[in-house]
Amino acid sequence: MIEIKNLSRSFGTLRAVDDISFSVSSGSITGFLGPNGAGKTTTMRMMVSYLRPDSGSITIDGKSIYEDPIATSAKIGYLPEHNPLYDEMLVLEILKYVADLRKMSAPSFAQRRAFVVANCGLKQVLTQKIGTLSKGFRQRVGLAMAILHDPDILILDEPTSGLDPNQIIEIRELIRELGREKTVILSSHIMQEVQALCDRVLIINKGKIVVDNDIDKLDDYLNDFQMMHLELEGEAIDFSEFLEYHPELELISAEAGEHNIVLQLRIPSQSDIRHDLARYVAENGWLITSLYTQQKSLEEIFHSLTKEVPASLTMPDPMTATELARDEEEEI
Amino acid sequence: MKAIWTIARKEYQLAMRSVTSYIVFILFLVISGAGFSASIFKVGLAELRGLYSFQHILFIFFIPAITMGSIARERSNGTIELLSTLPIRLTHVVWGKILASTMQLATLLVFNLIPLAIILIFGQGIDIGAILLGSLGILIAGCAYISIGVFASSLPSNQVLAFIIAFFISGFFYVIRYLLVLTPLALVRYVQYFSFEYHLSSFMRGVVDVRDILFFLAVIVIFALLAEFNLQSKNLMQER
Repeated sequence: MIEIKNLSRSFGTLRAVDDISFSVSSGSITGFLGPNGAGKTTTMRMMVSYLRPDSGSITIDGKSIYEDPIATSAKIGYLPEHNPLYDEMLVLEILKYVADLRKMSAPSFAQRRAFVVANCGLKQVLTQKIGTLSKGFRQRVGLAMAILHDPDILILDEPTSGLDPNQIIEIRELIRELGREKTVILSSHIMQEVQALCDRVLIINKGKIVVDNDIDKLDDYLNDFQMMHLELEGEAIDFSEFLEYHPELELISAEAGEHNIVLQLRIPSQSDIRHDLARYVAENGWLITSLYTQQKSLEEIFHSLTKEVPASLTMPDPMTATELARDEEEEI
Repeated sequence: MKAIWTIARKEYQLAMRSVTSYIVFILFLVISGAGFSASIFKVGLAELRGLYSFQHILFIFFIPAITMGSIARERSNGTIELLSTLPIRLTHVVWGKILASTMQLATLLVFNLIPLAIILIFGQGIDIGAILLGSLGILIAGCAYISIGVFASSLPSNQVLAFIIAFFISGFFYVIRYLLVLTPLALVRYVQYFSFEYHLSSFMRGVVDVRDILFFLAVIVIFALLAEFNLQSKNLMQER
């Protein structure tokens, strides 16, 4: 259990982290989501006591991390943002170096080494110089170093940056595997990643937490409507009657062709108009050539939340967010 | 303690793999060898005092070159973040770096066995005590310069800047002896106490004075502590 209370940190006049509080329960994967410069890295650096906060407290299992920094860092596995490594060392050597500095015994190192080599896919590069590795492999080496000592808490700053799609899947699988037993906190500015991996998401913007919620609850957080794309074929299509009959629908756009029409409708999530729609279209002798609805993705939520909003607004009310989302669509 | 050794060993191994250290080593040995041969042919004394005092001057240039990257490179590469988040103390990092550079210096000074052998073979009436204590003295003075160099390396993240800072601090401790003529007579006693040359001279004569050893140890510890303090505050501040 990690608890963070009223944490603040400024660099000069820039308030990188502004009075944030949250707690992370053991055995879960928490995602930090935010645009660049939102304060993710600063927060993580403070959690691993690389950086001292101006104010606020960080406790792990009720104990302040500054009480015994050595014991704390023994518990934590940390993958820094740019994944700094010694370019002149071999992969094998750097693993041994980290193991030595972590005072691992020879048998436990041998066992853990086998684990990380297998799970991070390092077998083929073990005797290669780190400076010659591709970014993806560097990232894997960094991850291997972070999990080498089997820590209870894993703090990963953008773990999948620079990886190709296949590697991303592998690393995500590994993180998911680790998240079963360990507490994982990862940061990302990739929405799908957080959506795919995390149990819980913290959206940070300008040093403040904008959203702190479980990932599945996030959907209905702002998702009180969905977009429907509808394409009809037929002669002289007049859709207005249907819209009058269903006042909850909102017509966003209509593009009429010679024999067809493309409609975009905003419909409340809870209402299902498909039966009515099919019947109405059939009665008029038209054809539905295309119909699909779009859920509002985390990406859109993220985008609407991290856009310029008043600083006082820590929890946006759904109305504002909806309006913001609408503005966006009009721009498109 | 083990952490210091782990860091020192890794640093030493990496240094021994890089071409730069070999260039530095060869330059040092060529220049000091030239100095030795000049002194032995001109003066014709079977002693290493001349070599040692010449090497002492070379230290001002070469030790900053050995130490300049020690911490500055960790910072510019960002690996200091790695070290700072491992379960070790910054003291371990600083002392590990000092030990690694000392090992490099010791490796370099092993080559002094060549002039020593020449003197032993061709010379007469050799004062072995003075030679042994002289080499001890030069090593311990070298350690003091290393500590200064590591401290200088902890100041900027730029290695060249680290070199220049180390050069000036080391140079100050060397040159101070020549500034004595400018100091008021009443202060000479105190000012000359800071001169490395002054403390080395008794070693060269083959005399051990505990005060000299203590002076060098104090310099080493003070600059190591300054480096650690500086590293600590830089980590905590990280102003950009």
